Amino acid sequence: MKITKEAIAGTLESSDLLVKVAPNQKGTLEVVIRSEVIKQFGKQIRRVIDDTLRKLEVSEGSVVVEDKGALDYAIRARVQAAVLRGAGSEELDWRQL
Amino acid sequence: MEFEFTAVRPQESPNDVDEVRKLLAASQLEFDSPVQVLVLCRVRGRMVACAGLDHNVIKCVAVAQDFRGESLSLRLGSEIVALAAQRREFHLFLYSPPHNRELFRGWGFYPLVEVPDLVILMENSPIAIQRYCDSLRLRRKPGDRIGCCVLNANPFTLGHRYLVERAASECDWLHVFVVKEDASTFSYDDRFALVAAGVKNISNLTLHQGSDYIISRATFPGYFLKDKLVIDHSWAGIDLLLFREHIAPSLGITDRYVGTEPLDTVTSNYNVDMRYWLHDATSCAPAVTVVELPRASIDGIPISASTVRRLLAEGDFIAIQKLVPTSTLKFLQIKDAATPLAAGGANRT
Amino acid sequence: MRKARRSMLFVPGDNPGMLSTAFVYQPDSVMFDLEDAVSPREKDSARLLVFHTLSLPAYKDVERVVRINRLDSEYGLKDLEAAIRGGADVVRLPKTDSAEEVHELESHVARLEKECGCRVGQTKLIAAIESASGVVNALSIATASTRMVAIALAGFDYLVDMQTKRSGGSEPELFYARAALLHAARAAHIDAFDVAYGNVDDDEGFLREVQIAKQLGFNGKSLIHPRQVYLLHRAYAPSEAELMYAKRVIAAAEDAHGKGQGVVSLDGKMIDPPVIKEAEEVLSRADVA
Repeated sequence: MKITKEAIAGTLESSDLLVKVAPNQKGTLEVVIRSEVIKQFGKQIRRVIDDTLRKLEVSEGSVVVEDKGALDYAIRARVQAAVLRGAGSEELDWRQL
Repeated sequence: MEFEFTAVRPQESPNDVDEVRKLLAASQLEFDSPVQVLVLCRVRGRMVACAGLDHNVIKCVAVAQDFRGESLSLRLGSEIVALAAQRREFHLFLYSPPHNRELFRGWGFYPLVEVPDLVILMENSPIAIQRYCDSLRLRRKPGDRIGCCVLNANPFTLGHRYLVERAASECDWLHVFVVKEDASTFSYDDRFALVAAGVKNISNLTLHQGSDYIISRATFPGYFLKDKLVIDHSWAGIDLLLFREHIAPSLGITDRYVGTEPLDTVTSNYNVDMRYWLHDATSCAPAVTVVELPRASIDGIPISASTVRRLLAEGDFIAIQKLVPTSTLKFLQIKDAATPLAAGGANRT
Repeated sequence: MRKARRSMLFVPGDNPGMLSTAFVYQPDSVMFDLEDAVSPREKDSARLLVFHTLSLPAYKDVERVVRINRLDSEYGLKDLEAAIRGGADVVRLPKTDSAEEVHELESHVARLEKECGCRVGQTKLIAAIESASGVVNALSIATASTRMVAIALAGFDYLVDMQTKRSGGSEPELFYARAALLHAARAAHIDAFDVAYGNVDDDEGFLREVQIAKQLGFNGKSLIHPRQVYLLHRAYAPSEAELMYAKRVIAAAEDAHGKGQGVVSLDGKMIDPPVIKEAEEVLSRADVA
């Protein structure tokens, strides 16, 4: 999928996360994470986000995540929602989730 | 606990605005115009929280005393951020009193600059300012004296030309920024094009696009308020501190050039603030020298963009010709032929 | 052993905090809501949250229900696909007015089950009845599909349709709808759910309503707050005497079955199949928390 416009998904509430995606002309994929539990779970959060993006075939863009202690499943769901909104896509290939 | 969130336009809901004023007053805050849309939270009909949006700036945030506690605040933050996103505003700013820094940190906002003990400007990204400075650093030039001008250029006049030429002649390199906000008579794209045309033969100059970080609605709201004659000093400080702490170091700027401002009180006060915040105030960032050049004048009258706009409204191209370079004159003639200007546009030079 | 369906806990589909913890309250069924709890702007995001929640190990032993939006909305079919692909046990259709709507739903469910390689027939259905038409058509709705495991009365929308509102107390305004729904459920041999109780701070009022529902014969109730789960289970729990008798009946039946005997007897009396069935039902309500 290609991120063609800015989009957000999620909330700032506890156990959730706010994901912001944006296109970037540099041809790179930049992921920035801020989390209250970055020390304990930073690597895990990063792994889940990378895996989610990879399955959606996102290779380019900017992804900024403000994590509020979300579990893996919520991270996946919110990243997917933001990417789909940013790609302006309604069509979902469920195997990519 | 049923929290009911709604969004309203202030002009259409005067009763709501009254309730908002009361809620703000309880937190020693005022209703900070302009606001295009308000998010309101009610419990059983009673307003317990509010937040407003002015383009990309969040304002008028208040939560009733008996509902203070993290979760309502986070819901309020989520609602206002989502509303802004619906309006295609993703890069958001807000002004926080220092004691609320942690609250807004919970909203995903990070401090940009602080006027000590007074106010903090925050943005909703941990990296946006760094990315911006990284992009500026790529355009750094060597030299001992690196100058900077920030122009609104509404439109670009011979006065601007004079300022830029003098600055470029005194510096090893000159960086020129054009104010990005589309709050002037002439659009940003037009103003930028006129500046580009007007400075193209100056070889030691880099022209930069404007941004949210330099005289914008976010950093300097007072600049865009038509009726305000006196700027609160804290506002000017924010814009100038951002310049001193982030922009100037990225480009190695040592001198900031401005024209004296006899005709516009707002801008002339701003120049005074400039000297204080860029040079005199203590800061971890190096001081930037403010160089105030007397305005260029024709027949003893200082050249100003507001004069040009007035003459344009009168259709007096003979007079205009004396005040602007050919490139600007051509543009104005084409524009006047196409769409006659309404009298009394926004008046920032 | 028959599994009870006393408590169906509603969980908003757009709230990760609640989605990941609802199982803690041990409801018999959990209903992930994509309909009324979720604003239009968040439907797409909530759908993905619910899709992923369905595969959380914590919900392995809880019946997972997804309330989709109506099929005639822009969200319904997408919700259904998320539910089926996510492996929901049951799909709850809101505002069901006729058997045709159930048939339409069923054909989409079957199609989706085939597409995702699931066993056709594995997804069950619950129809929520929220209008006068729905109540009047309750029997045909209840019998519209072999997948239908329950019908539920949704009070708020129903009363709006009936141009009245809750009165508290004995609530005559809900009597006919409750009775109609129950008869339809019994005739169709499926479960019946009573209306949700909206005032989460009023335990007494909640329990009063639960008593009415239990007395009428409702198998369970839609719940909108976790604390209602325990209260409901306790109210539906069999008495010591009932429980003891039920256990003895089951033991006698198992004993007879083990000896290959066709007739079950206890205390010198013959125990008919309906008595055994009732004993199973009593046992299913024994587990309170």
